Amino acid sequence: MSNIKKINLKGHLLTAISYLIPIVCGAGFLIAIGMAFGGTSQGTLVQGEFSIWDALATMGGAGLGLLPVVIATGISYSIAGKPGIAPGFIIGLTANAIGAGFIGGILGGYLSGYLAVAVLKYFKVPKWAKGLMPTLIIPFFTSIIGGLIMVYIIGIPIAALTALLTNALNGLGSSSLLVFGGIIGLLSGIDFGGPINKTVFAFVLTIQAEGINGPITALQLVNTATPIGFGLAYFIAKLFGKNIYTPVETEALKSAVPMGVVNIVEGVIPIVMNDIVRCVTAVAIGGAVGGAITMVLGADATVPFGGVFMLPTMSQPWTGAVAILVNALVTGLALAVLKKNVSKEEERAEVEEEDIDLDDIQIL
Amino acid sequence: MKIVGVAACTVGIAHTYIAQEKLENAGKKAGHDIHIETQGTIGTENELTQKQIDEADIVILAADVKIAGRERFEGKRIIQVKTETAVKSPNKLIEKAAEVVK
Repeated sequence: MSNIKKINLKGHLLTAISYLIPIVCGAGFLIAIGMAFGGTSQGTLVQGEFSIWDALATMGGAGLGLLPVVIATGISYSIAGKPGIAPGFIIGLTANAIGAGFIGGILGGYLSGYLAVAVLKYFKVPKWAKGLMPTLIIPFFTSIIGGLIMVYIIGIPIAALTALLTNALNGLGSSSLLVFGGIIGLLSGIDFGGPINKTVFAFVLTIQAEGINGPITALQLVNTATPIGFGLAYFIAKLFGKNIYTPVETEALKSAVPMGVVNIVEGVIPIVMNDIVRCVTAVAIGGAVGGAITMVLGADATVPFGGVFMLPTMSQPWTGAVAILVNALVTGLALAVLKKNVSKEEERAEVEEEDIDLDDIQIL
Repeated sequence: MKIVGVAACTVGIAHTYIAQEKLENAGKKAGHDIHIETQGTIGTENELTQKQIDEADIVILAADVKIAGRERFEGKRIIQVKTETAVKSPNKLIEKAAEVVK
């Protein structure tokens, strides 16, 4: 187990995703604006034969088309450092060429990174050739080995798997969509932007890279609605004559709600920490409802981040708005019902911190 | 004691800064001299100086992703955790750091 932790597969994926997100957001907005005004994403822009909207859509489409390359390069860099960049790039492009898509890009990144590390470790070169190591030997040998593995061994099954997954998701009926959306919403809600949320994010991002926008929209709308729900809960509870937040928490809400509107769920963490079980329960209920509504109504943001700014990028913005509203209302109502009335004494009581799990700490 | 550290989370807009704030508050509360650099999506902010690093007794890395400039901490005692740990239990983490230094 400790060995698995040391290899840190997930950490490398998260590092790559951290590089990926700004690209997806920038390119996503370009393509969304371009397509909203009637542009289409084109392979080549022929002089004099395109509008500015075609240009925007093409810029965005080009960026989004490179996602497998970005994820492969990012993972490879995370594993091998700078020498990982060149082979990661080449193997990522190879994954794209063979149609292995985002999943191919992810596997290609690991392949490239560990191969680069291995080449660095096992290829012994004479002193005069040291300069060739990073410039020629690592990029060439890593790319040729990794690239050929991608083309002849893993590429085709992955391409088939990706197609299978894509078809299965496209073919879901509305009751399956309800369940699928509910699960995504629930999972993305319960840990407020933490590891579970990010794992789900990696999964739905993979699906989006194959052109299916619903699942990632469900995730991000839940992230958006959750803090708004916490804000609504304040007022809903007041209707019941209940006071569910301490003054410190109310203060935290003032920044958490606006953060939520632009898709940053983490602002509510300090409030959740004070009352984990009730808050998580409420968010899970709201998230499941919100996720289900998103999927059933077919809200489909092309931009996987931005909160309310995602709405205009959907083919039917009202669906997203409905999902956010209902989700926030349900979460707010659940919080107002579940949370206890805060008495004056409790307002002052400081909350005991969780003990640190020694497994979570590495001392070097 | 003197503590330096780096906070970096996946998306680089929220946990990074919450971890920084919690660690700095916890450190100051326990009477330590603490500086935490943030590596968010916007880039590196509150960058550690070489002097701060040289003088530090311990380095706390609260990171979910690969951090930039790790070689700066070569040869120092390093505690590495996820940002989540720093957000959830900053005081305990600082206590732990003090134990390690002893």
